[in-house]
Amino acid sequence: MRALLLSLLLGAAVLPALAAAPTDPPTPPVPSTTDGLIAQPWYRPHHLIGQVAGGQGMVTVGVGYTTLRGRLDVDVLTGYVPRKYSITPMGIFTGKATYSPWTLGLGASRWQVRPLSVGGLVNYTASRGMNASLDGKYPKGYYWWPARSRAGAFVGGRVAYELPTKANGQPRTASLYYELGTNDLYLVSLYSNIKALSVADILTLGIGVKVDL
Amino acid sequence: MPHVSAFSFLSSWAGRGLGALLLTGLLGGCDLLEFSPNETRTPEEYRNLTRKNLDALAARPNPSRGDTLRFVFIGDSQRFYGEAEDFVRSVNQQPDVAFVLVAGDISDFGLVREMRWVDERLRKLRVPYLTVIGNHDHVANGRGAYEQVYGPLNYAFTYADTRFVLLDTNGREAGFNGTLPNIPWLESTLADTGGARRQIVVSHVPPFDGDFDPQLEQPYVEALARAPRLVFELNGHRHDFGVDYPYENNIPFINSYSFEKREYTLLTLWGDRGFRLDNISY
Repeated sequence: MRALLLSLLLGAAVLPALAAAPTDPPTPPVPSTTDGLIAQPWYRPHHLIGQVAGGQGMVTVGVGYTTLRGRLDVDVLTGYVPRKYSITPMGIFTGKATYSPWTLGLGASRWQVRPLSVGGLVNYTASRGMNASLDGKYPKGYYWWPARSRAGAFVGGRVAYELPTKANGQPRTASLYYELGTNDLYLVSLYSNIKALSVADILTLGIGVKVDL
Repeated sequence: MPHVSAFSFLSSWAGRGLGALLLTGLLGGCDLLEFSPNETRTPEEYRNLTRKNLDALAARPNPSRGDTLRFVFIGDSQRFYGEAEDFVRSVNQQPDVAFVLVAGDISDFGLVREMRWVDERLRKLRVPYLTVIGNHDHVANGRGAYEQVYGPLNYAFTYADTRFVLLDTNGREAGFNGTLPNIPWLESTLADTGGARRQIVVSHVPPFDGDFDPQLEQPYVEALARAPRLVFELNGHRHDFGVDYPYENNIPFINSYSFEKREYTLLTLWGDRGFRLDNISY
């Protein structure tokens, strides 16, 4: 009992703010190592992203957060498509969620595999030369879809390499991922042409890297 | 050490597989690695199709005899891919067809991939096909996609002593700003018949439609009235066949079926103004 009291007092002594109330010290926050969200201000992203294609830009960079014990990534990305492949350059702003239920270690190596990911995204394309489809040029209901906003879905996978652990004990990886997906307008095209179009016709591929900070 | 050889077999197999995947992805698969559905990038195979089809047409002698010219007229292929396949099968059985004319709205959403899906089917026609831009082909980056896949928005060609003048009349897409259609271009193009016996104007939106720039309707119709040897104008957009004489000058305006109507018009021309319309179900 005396030992416990002593340790409590010692603990209080290193927290000057609590020195005035040594008999009632609060429990210091215990870092959790299970959710990948430890001791880090909310605004500091967990990883950096670089990606090509996948309907999100020719060159795309982003940041993201990991939660649900490392299974869910929530990312925001900015992509660029040059004038050469557009009327005027396109800026594509994407919000994306990727759920990867399983992570498999490869023996004693530093490699890990996430064999399956499923995800969804929404994005907005800004480009001066792009013709808007829902603006004042048209009577209401003339076109039913927005030209600049797209929704997409994908399946994918990921291979990760464990980097040296951070000072606070949080694991870090660098990983390569792919997304095989499509978008709302392609899905509508397939749905109304079940016989004439195939799933292969509407697929897009994105490839990217994620590095934990 | 059998496990080592098994491992090296596996790794070389995996390596080859990965290599093949990367090669397909990087070389053949501009398709799969899509930057944006709105990109205008398309492989050479699907570029400048108007130029390529006009070259193919120029190389074909007119299958009809004398001053007769026969071609197939349809419009609005937008998102009717199964119908496009049946259309091709039917047209390929028609005798003496010189070419096929599609009166705009190749795509529904103005996406380059849609234009390719249409071309993948229409390139199976035994004859060349020619298009004009429709309002749906203007959506998003559609104008750029159309220019990449097909070519100019306004163009003209002469075949079998007949001059075809094809132009963009989708005025609503430009916010009725007085530039679409390009009247000076139409006037100068129609004025120079190049010695052809007949002229035909082809566009997507007819001048009496609500999607035609109202301030340009009168100048447009006057340009047609002044045009030497004009036989008629061909339009799409309304998704149904029809022959109208809406103006005092009695120029016929012939509207096309859309692909989903599963009907097309076989147009036969002869002499200076003779023509006959046969509607074919498929």
